[in-house]
Amino acid sequence: MNVLVLSGYGINCENETLHAFEVVGFKGKIVHINDLIQNPKQLNNYQVFAIPGGFSYGDDTGSGNAMAKKIMTNLYDQLLDFSLKDKLIIGICNGCQILINLGLVPSLNKKDPEVAMIENKSGSYECRWVDVKVNNNKSPWLKNISILNLPVAHQEGQFMIPINLLKSIKANNLIGLQYINNHKKLAKGQFPFNPNGSKDDIAALTNQNGNVLAMMPHPERALYHYHVPNWQNNTSKKFGDGYKIFINAKKFFA
Amino acid sequence: MTNTIQILSIEKTGKESSLQKEHKNKSIKIIDGYFFSRNLDDQKFTKISKLISNDVSQTILTKKNVNKVLSSYCNFNWVVEIKFLPGVTDNIATTVKEIIKDNLKSSFKSFELGSTKIILIKGRKEDITKISKNEANPLIQTIKIYSFKQYLNNFKKNQFKIEKVKLPKKKYSKKEINLDISDYNLSLIGKLGIEENDKSRRGTLGLDLESLKTIRNYFSTIKRKPTDVEIETLAQTWSEHCKHKIFSAKIDDIQEGIFKKYIKGATEKIIQLRKDNFCVSLFTDNAGGIEFNKDWIICHKVETHNTPSALDPFGGAITGIVGVNRDCLGFGKGAKPIANTYAYYLADPNKKYQLYRQKNKDPMLPANFIAKGIISGVRVGGNCSGIPTPQGNVYFDDRFAGKPLVFCGTVGIIPKKIKGKLSHKKKANPGDIILMAGGRVGKDGIHGATFSSEELDPNSPVSAVQIGDPITQKKMSDVIIRELRDENLYSSITDNGAGGLSSSIGEMAKESGGFIVNLEKVPLKYNGLYPWEIWVSESQERMTLAVPPANIKKVINRFNARGVEATIIGKFIKKEKAIVKYNKTEILNLDMEFLHEGYPKLNLKTSFPKIKKEKKKIIKKSSLIVKLHKLLSSPNIVSKEFIATQYDHEVQATSIIKPLQGEGRVFGNATAIKPLFDDEKSIALSQAAYPQYAETNPYDMAGCSIDTAYKNLIVSGANSKKIAILDNFCWCSSDEPDRLYQLKEAAKACYDYAVAYQTPFISGKDSMFNDFKGFDKTGKSVKISIPPTLLISSIGVVDKISHLTKMTPDDGDILLVLGNTRNELQDSVYSKIKGYEKSKNPVVNSKDALRTYRNFEKANKLGIINSAIGIDLGGIGIAVTKMAIASKKGLTIDLKLKNKISVDQFLFSESQSRILVSIKKNKLANFKKIFKSSDYTIIGKCTGLDVVEFKDNKKITRGKISDFAKSYKQNIKGL
Repeated sequence: MNVLVLSGYGINCENETLHAFEVVGFKGKIVHINDLIQNPKQLNNYQVFAIPGGFSYGDDTGSGNAMAKKIMTNLYDQLLDFSLKDKLIIGICNGCQILINLGLVPSLNKKDPEVAMIENKSGSYECRWVDVKVNNNKSPWLKNISILNLPVAHQEGQFMIPINLLKSIKANNLIGLQYINNHKKLAKGQFPFNPNGSKDDIAALTNQNGNVLAMMPHPERALYHYHVPNWQNNTSKKFGDGYKIFINAKKFFA
Repeated sequence: MTNTIQILSIEKTGKESSLQKEHKNKSIKIIDGYFFSRNLDDQKFTKISKLISNDVSQTILTKKNVNKVLSSYCNFNWVVEIKFLPGVTDNIATTVKEIIKDNLKSSFKSFELGSTKIILIKGRKEDITKISKNEANPLIQTIKIYSFKQYLNNFKKNQFKIEKVKLPKKKYSKKEINLDISDYNLSLIGKLGIEENDKSRRGTLGLDLESLKTIRNYFSTIKRKPTDVEIETLAQTWSEHCKHKIFSAKIDDIQEGIFKKYIKGATEKIIQLRKDNFCVSLFTDNAGGIEFNKDWIICHKVETHNTPSALDPFGGAITGIVGVNRDCLGFGKGAKPIANTYAYYLADPNKKYQLYRQKNKDPMLPANFIAKGIISGVRVGGNCSGIPTPQGNVYFDDRFAGKPLVFCGTVGIIPKKIKGKLSHKKKANPGDIILMAGGRVGKDGIHGATFSSEELDPNSPVSAVQIGDPITQKKMSDVIIRELRDENLYSSITDNGAGGLSSSIGEMAKESGGFIVNLEKVPLKYNGLYPWEIWVSESQERMTLAVPPANIKKVINRFNARGVEATIIGKFIKKEKAIVKYNKTEILNLDMEFLHEGYPKLNLKTSFPKIKKEKKKIIKKSSLIVKLHKLLSSPNIVSKEFIATQYDHEVQATSIIKPLQGEGRVFGNATAIKPLFDDEKSIALSQAAYPQYAETNPYDMAGCSIDTAYKNLIVSGANSKKIAILDNFCWCSSDEPDRLYQLKEAAKACYDYAVAYQTPFISGKDSMFNDFKGFDKTGKSVKISIPPTLLISSIGVVDKISHLTKMTPDDGDILLVLGNTRNELQDSVYSKIKGYEKSKNPVVNSKDALRTYRNFEKANKLGIINSAIGIDLGGIGIAVTKMAIASKKGLTIDLKLKNKISVDQFLFSESQSRILVSIKKNKLANFKKIFKSSDYTIIGKCTGLDVVEFKDNKKITRGKISDFAKSYKQNIKGL
């Protein structure tokens, strides 16, 4: 099992993302976007395509936009093809913003992006830990998970979805993760449980097959127990909640 | 045809909400604008606007729809248009250009564009003027205010303009400077700069008469006149910033100077005593390096960026942080930056100081604008670079009104050996090619912050300030660390900071002998720069590499393949000569020895300062709980959570002790990262400075800083044998004997305490003139000096995860204070708020302190300590409340046990070297085996209730934890 982790132009979470895949048993490689454009055929060697977090192009012209346009012009068909196969794609944080801008998620209608990522309601960058519940159990990424405690770190994490589209997203069960409060109920937009004001507390979306996951929280930063805030109070487990996402990818190919 | 693309967010953006809230006006809308240097036809307009906008969340304004779209929000009547002055780094414009180039390929040739923020409001003209003042800085931006009608008109008639840098076409001919002139005229060159043909001056060189005479003598010996480039280079190389002349000067009877005697002296003494391999690379490189484990070295460097941050807080701070990142990249063969640190010393953001640089004009930026700008600058710099920023602090004092202090630090990591060779050793060899990689060169930072005569011309670039471009740097950094370093493709590397190429190449050439540079090869941001400007420009995001000719092609290709520019600009030579050519004309030819060591050495005298007696304030009476609330909510104790949450401290997945600690999220004194996936060792970081103690006793002030920075790491669980410290002196009026006396005292304390604690200084920096000379609002001249500030940053290795501590006790825990509490309330937070009583300043007794620390370390390794927090500002009272807030667990404190001091002295004294710890009841016996009974005081226990209670004989005072938390988490007014 091989994972390709994308890098370049300000993406910056590639090392820890690759590490998380390696811990669960993947082999992987960090590939610069320009090298992938030069040789897109190498995608055939991989089962998982991961776009890590970061600040591609400094978020200028909207988070994820510039990188999405570069992919759109140079790699879109190959990536779409990848998504239609029995393979997995994950976009984390900036990667999520890129997938949304590419329209590979939720990918209900057409090539153009249908959802937008906009600035947090607070107007400021938010780096904090949140709880999310899994909504869509059919995605291979999210199978057998109920609740995850993960960090977010973003300036533009609010999913903006036209009303009609939101209806079909719900009808198709494409909401992957939702922010919940300290009573394990939906956050209902309440800060800081919902850190960005995202509608319906959406923290992640999937495509129809569930094999493409676009999530704002960072599972790779919650891999080990000592990543979790105040872990000294609970040292019994080896892993944090983020591990569950990566082990799911492994199970999918097992 | 149109020359602008303007984009509007359909929904209210976060920025719009905050503007609306701040100005109490709901009718504010912001447009992202791009002005092009040429008209776009309809097809290009559609293509480009689609590339840079989002269909779902944004609307593109066109001549046809602009009226209708905007009137659907409200009837706007005023507009402010904010854009960068020509030559100021415009990162958004750079990205847009790249998007167009990448996606439209060749269909669109040369064009220029600039990004613009257009704010629309419905309101009075005063409102828009106020907004513009809060949103723009006239030093780097142009601000145009006009009516909405005019805006629509501009839109329809293509009247939006970008201003390009238009420098007069200059033909350079070698300029020789005559120094055989009167002392008066000579000193004019030093003060005002070299005279141009039109009699204008280039701006101060900062060279004193003696230095200029030394230069004159040198050239009369070699029998020729100096060129302008030679004088500019010498001015740059000999500057206080580069040579630290005050620290190396003879001072009173200290022949070797305070750096050699006290700072380096301490480290040498420690190395001699330690006999281990902990210290790897000290003082000689861009950062200081210590051993992390058997395979890795970590390095640390802390810089200040005070003056630039006073002029352009955002630009100054972002340049500060990405600049110090490059110090790591330039450590040894290139260390990977793995953590940022920050410390800001600011004026009260809620006060209006109304200071002017010139009589009735050229105002200082408001204190809250400076504070906000600095905080955002480091946020953007750190977050965009993918480097976690876990560790920092902020301190407020009126005396920072004239000059904020902005400390930015970076920790890096590098394998000990690269291809079998020691990675911290580097040497440019004769014949190696000089390669400049990264950004291009403009007039940025030329002559630091002095205003050139060109400033008045709107088409001239702004030379005083730089804005960092973290993405360009990130691209460059990735190539160096990932693709070049580990293949050993270059022999040496250093960053371009102060002094630009003149300094980086000059320093690096010491390794080979000398250099020859061809300045015309240097890629420029715009034409029209003089050779001397290219040579000393401080344009950001550039590294200089020494590359063996055999590897040069490979290296350049690697850079280019990642979208990074890299240019050959010269070569290193064996001969000890510094040679610069411009289009084959030799414009600089100096002996390396003279360039680096030729400057006249200072001879300084100090004198004991007159101590100004503080006016005694009358102590206001209030209850204990009220006092605690007052202290908790005071700006220097209140939580800095709002900064911690906007600085990404989780990236790289290394955060192990976070800035916000416990369920109740208390802003910690130390943080830790675990940098390697396959080693459980962590790096603990902390820092401390006590400017408030400086005027009373600078020696003790420095002692307190070292003690606190060291203590915080011990408390976090670091191995006491693996702690190093860094010194950053920010002083004022360093030409006055009494300030120099304070400096000498502080430096002496550095020696004494570093040697006592066995903590080597591994790196440091000084900034000696943090004074503001200007005018108040009545036109009266004022001088505001910062209080002498010594920031000690500490870095230490934690051997095991299990050694890392927490600050949250559990029910039933016994609470103890380690160390002695004395009546040391002088200059404390308590006395500032409550008034002064007869008291002393905190003094560190290193022998007692070390006993506490060694015992703590031992107890912690044995698992006896359940939780711990260092006691500093606000004393035991604040430490106890913080523990309760963090754990959300009640504590009961017995005030019976104080000896000879009052309750307030016991609770609020800032005596150093104390730790508040909690232990499980059943560990008390073991605890007592380690600690002597005179070294600790049992002060209470953890009740688990929702209150903190203080028992004074039979009187019990209670405060609810949730109320304390509210006070502690209050917003800082003005931010």
